Amino acid sequence: MNVENDIKKLQTISDHIRLDIMKMVYEAKDGHPGPAFSIADLITTLYFKEMKIDPQNPRWEDRDRFILSKGHACPALYSALARKGYFSMDELHGLRKLGSMLQGHPDMNKTPGIDITSGSLGNGLSMAVGMAIAAKYRKKSYYTYVAMGDGEIQEGLVWEAAMCASKYKLNNLIAFVDHNGWQSGGSIHDVSGLLPVLPKWQAFNWDCQVIDGHDFEQIIQAIAQAKKSTDKPSMIILKTIKGKGLSFMENDNSWHKRVPTAEQMEQAITVLGGE
Amino acid sequence: MVEYKGTREAFTQAITELAAENEQVVFVSADSLKAMRATSFAEKYPDRYIEVGIAEQNSVGVSAGLASAGLMPFIGTYAGFITMRACEQVRTFVAYPHLNVKLVGINGGIFSGEREGVTHQFFEDLAIMRAMPDVTILVPADAHQMYHAVKAAALIDGPVYIRAGSGREHLVYEADTPFEVGKIRVLKKYGNDVALFANGFILNRAVEAARILNESNIRVTLVDVPTLKPLDESGIQAILADCKAAVTVEDHNVIGGLGDVISMVSTKSYPVFMERVGLQDVFPSSGGPEEVLDRYGISIQDIVNAVKNVCKMKRGI
Repeated sequence: MNVENDIKKLQTISDHIRLDIMKMVYEAKDGHPGPAFSIADLITTLYFKEMKIDPQNPRWEDRDRFILSKGHACPALYSALARKGYFSMDELHGLRKLGSMLQGHPDMNKTPGIDITSGSLGNGLSMAVGMAIAAKYRKKSYYTYVAMGDGEIQEGLVWEAAMCASKYKLNNLIAFVDHNGWQSGGSIHDVSGLLPVLPKWQAFNWDCQVIDGHDFEQIIQAIAQAKKSTDKPSMIILKTIKGKGLSFMENDNSWHKRVPTAEQMEQAITVLGGE
Repeated sequence: MVEYKGTREAFTQAITELAAENEQVVFVSADSLKAMRATSFAEKYPDRYIEVGIAEQNSVGVSAGLASAGLMPFIGTYAGFITMRACEQVRTFVAYPHLNVKLVGINGGIFSGEREGVTHQFFEDLAIMRAMPDVTILVPADAHQMYHAVKAAALIDGPVYIRAGSGREHLVYEADTPFEVGKIRVLKKYGNDVALFANGFILNRAVEAARILNESNIRVTLVDVPTLKPLDESGIQAILADCKAAVTVEDHNVIGGLGDVISMVSTKSYPVFMERVGLQDVFPSSGGPEEVLDRYGISIQDIVNAVKNVCKMKRGI
């Protein structure tokens, strides 16, 4: 398969994932569609192109790991896992419902394919560092991927973990910041003193790249570049659009947590293509 | 006979032996290697000594990641920095996912923090840990019991919190007495006037109080409660039914620790008159280890008085 076809395929999958997200949130009457849309292209690339995984053996010890540190975006991950075959697509109807395997935030013991529990913000990188150190100690070749929101990297623990990753020269750790410029309470600029993001990671001695987080080719190339690192952890800052994929959602932060109307669902089906 | 200077040395001895048997065992330090007296472990197993620096939340997060990848991390640092500063990481990323992380908190109680003052005296750790589902909580009484508690923790598949001291601990137990997780232990049965429940590094004080009381013809059953979770409810209930009055002794705030545990069992199954000896919900201060206990309500005389009081209540005087 050539690169062009590969990318077309990824685009189709990510459209399906976005539509799944809409259906899940619509049905659950609760959830975070905007943040899930923002990270959907990365999750698509990781699960359908990059990661060494076996859906029949979710706890395979040599598998690549993924931590969705911005766990509220989990509908995107649940859809990807179901579409990979970790569990039935029917489970997607259960999002946030009592007794369902799909919790409001990722749970490693309830959902096959979730590598670690996550969701309270700022915690994923630490756990990723632990997984990457374990790989070095056990002489395993797996990669650990972690996706953080730009809002959540305001948490101090992120920077404790960032220090630790560079101390241990974790070139088997590839982290992403979904830099869509928004957080729950408003724009990153207005709410926090975080900006600019890039020099902070550089100062913590990480290998850094900044790419378009909705361009599959750039994501693939950036991961390939990150894997060339010999003695540093890698940070790939994804310039993204919150709600990317549906015009009425893009950059409208009210979609951080919001349920679509029936009309918006119809529009989503039209734009994202349906099955 | 094995001799340790204190619980920290006993911890290091135990984890070093565990590491020899099991390559999954690693030690995670938050710049606490020296404080844990674990330098020899790091020298022997440099690739199994993970140093995250002064960053306790990260030490817990990293340990969760290590455990998820099949390792058995032991985090050792100050009790309050694990249970308070990194409380959420312990609760959400170790306890909730039931990861095989062992948490060892030193300076447990005011006896152990002593001259450092309140910043390093931790008397809420057990209350905090008790409030989290699914964590085994071990409160060894001395260095010998610490050694066995660490060994026992390694046999448990899941999170364990072990309270350790700072080198002041008095030996109460013989070196070869095992640590039985989830069981109370009757240390001395002078009689059944009052049940005297104690745990941790003030157990020696309870032993001495029991002896003094015996000379005044008040005969207690002295019980060590070294596991707060899972709790030996039936064992405690049987003691309460026998003695029909109880005093608890703990180096912890009287809220949330051993006093609450015994009170809970009592109100549920066998109501008795009770008094709680412990830190009386105040902030303590710096001082010598024995004198801070004496000053803040955990003296031998405090125990004796409490037993005499409940004895009177029991007799309706």
